[in-house]
Amino acid sequence: MTDVDVVGLGVWSESFSNWEEFCHVLRGGSAETGRTLKPQAIAPNERRRAPLSVKMAVEVMDQACRMAALEPATVATVFASALGDMHITEYMCRTLADAPQAISPTRFHNSVHNAATGYWSIATQSHCPSSAVSGYSNSVSMAILDGAIQAVEEQIPVLVTVQEVATAPAFKSVYEWTQPFSAAMLLSPVGMCSSNIASLRLNASGNLVEPPQLEDIPGIDLSGNPAARLLPLLIAIAEQRNADVQLPLSRGSSLAISIDVGCQARQSES
Amino acid sequence: MRLAIGAYTATSAAGVGLQALRDSIDNRQSGLRRNDLQNCDIDTWIGRVDGVEDVSLPSHLDHLFSRNNQLAWFGLQQDGLLQSIAQLADRVGPDRVGVIMGTSTSSIGRTEEAFTCLLPSGQIAEEFQQQEVHSLHSPGFFVAEATGLTGPAITISTACSSSAKVFASAYRWINHGLVDAVLVGGVDSLCMSILYGFHSLELVSPELCRPFDRRRNGINIGEGCGYALVAREDLLPDAQFALLGYGESVDAYHMSHPHPKGEGAVIAIDRALERSKLTADSIDYVNLHGTASQANDRTEAHALARRFTDKTLVSSTKAWTGHALGAAGILEAIITLEAMRSGINPGTLNCGQPDPELAFPVLTDNVSQPVRFGMTNSFGFGGNNASLIFGQMND
Repeated sequence: MTDVDVVGLGVWSESFSNWEEFCHVLRGGSAETGRTLKPQAIAPNERRRAPLSVKMAVEVMDQACRMAALEPATVATVFASALGDMHITEYMCRTLADAPQAISPTRFHNSVHNAATGYWSIATQSHCPSSAVSGYSNSVSMAILDGAIQAVEEQIPVLVTVQEVATAPAFKSVYEWTQPFSAAMLLSPVGMCSSNIASLRLNASGNLVEPPQLEDIPGIDLSGNPAARLLPLLIAIAEQRNADVQLPLSRGSSLAISIDVGCQARQSES
Repeated sequence: MRLAIGAYTATSAAGVGLQALRDSIDNRQSGLRRNDLQNCDIDTWIGRVDGVEDVSLPSHLDHLFSRNNQLAWFGLQQDGLLQSIAQLADRVGPDRVGVIMGTSTSSIGRTEEAFTCLLPSGQIAEEFQQQEVHSLHSPGFFVAEATGLTGPAITISTACSSSAKVFASAYRWINHGLVDAVLVGGVDSLCMSILYGFHSLELVSPELCRPFDRRRNGINIGEGCGYALVAREDLLPDAQFALLGYGESVDAYHMSHPHPKGEGAVIAIDRALERSKLTADSIDYVNLHGTASQANDRTEAHALARRFTDKTLVSSTKAWTGHALGAAGILEAIITLEAMRSGINPGTLNCGQPDPELAFPVLTDNVSQPVRFGMTNSFGFGGNNASLIFGQMND
């Protein structure tokens, strides 16, 4: 069993670009769409070199740290994505098939799975431990579990970021999702930070479960997007209700997550 | 907590299985060869594992076919590892054993192949529509399927520190009680993305790589895989070695250049020393990242000079294996364990003229001297660093 506090949140998609807009959309409102993603956390020269995948990740990481009012250089990071940046993969593979000597060195170093956390660390001057992981369709559950354990074992806040870009053109015969989604959840050891938004209790077991059906969010289709498995947690927190979510971890294990949003009220009472 | 290290195995250009690796080290026999990859016109040397392309996957794993998974399967079958895994899983239950793999390439070689024969629509053809294979989790997924382990499974991909960091996550998972044991590993395979990518950064040497030599002019890329079964001490009473500490850090400097003074490297080394409650002088041997790039060796020497004295022997073994990138961490962890087992400290191969400009001297010939505490360093793109410290279990 693992207990952690959620102290900051960040979200970005084509239909909402921050937590406030996400909550607004859930209540049936609409948000301005089609805005250029310009994460302020990275310097303009780095921003120009950074691919969309990096900008999405850095944006939600910055949002989560701001919500928690935590100095970014004091948190460890775990970045998770099933496929990494499929658009760079497609660029690399097309170029290799056509004119391999023409590979761009910048795109090559941006192709590493830890590109987003690399840019983030440079922008924030953080030397804290940083990981980039994948669990394919279980990337969200594995990243939450790994990040929460790190938070407890190392007594450090851990910024867990999950994301998946839209399926790149050549991969449309393999993967079904069409829209990008990125979210960050800043997990902290219980009681370490004052900005507690919700408490999570995680229980891993050898039980097998099916992933939950995604609730419809007006105006956006994230079905099939592996990062969208975080949505049931995000929606429960946004709607200020306690919830239990079960997610598969691997071929023979699963994670039960209890979300308690009552902590704010309890804190203010005490 | 000490993390007990049970069965382990390594497969690289320097040999398939532990005995072949030992022979290569003892005989100072490099596994590197001139680049003979089909359709790759880069003038360089590579560390290729013979026979990978002939490895057949078990039929129930055919849908996960890729060179990377062929190599992963090849490596799993060495040194009785599968039997050790099965025995431990029988005792604690397969859901109490986790899988943590490290990789940088994953199965991108297979994705590259898919792009040479796309459908007229421009999409990936049926033969290559392998959902898990194009994922970064391809190795973790494959190894879980191949071993029957059903505990939590994840793949870490932080460039060249990937399969060093698997030990840190395993330590936390076991100390936390999530699982009783973890199969940690790393696998990376030769592919066009890596060769042409590093070539575009002008980091690939046209000659044999020469770590810490004044004539060094770049890396040789290799492939390989390694595994170690790690667990709570009481589950592995015969274990000879233990992981005592790990340190993870980030340079926060540049995406593809290390920090000039080795700032992030020193932080990783310090964190590993702190966790293992050891001083730098008590470390007998350090297996270096030592890629033979100008920048890596210069900054790593800086970092060493800030912490170590001549009481510690240090060397790079990249000229045996090539730089196996995402598999380098675990391969070099195993080479460190082997030095602790045999007392043979491998001297850096191809370092006939040690660079006098470097701030710390490396061992250039094999030296027989007991290794009580061994360390290994892994530094990757994105400034991602990891250091590991191992000790003797009966110490």
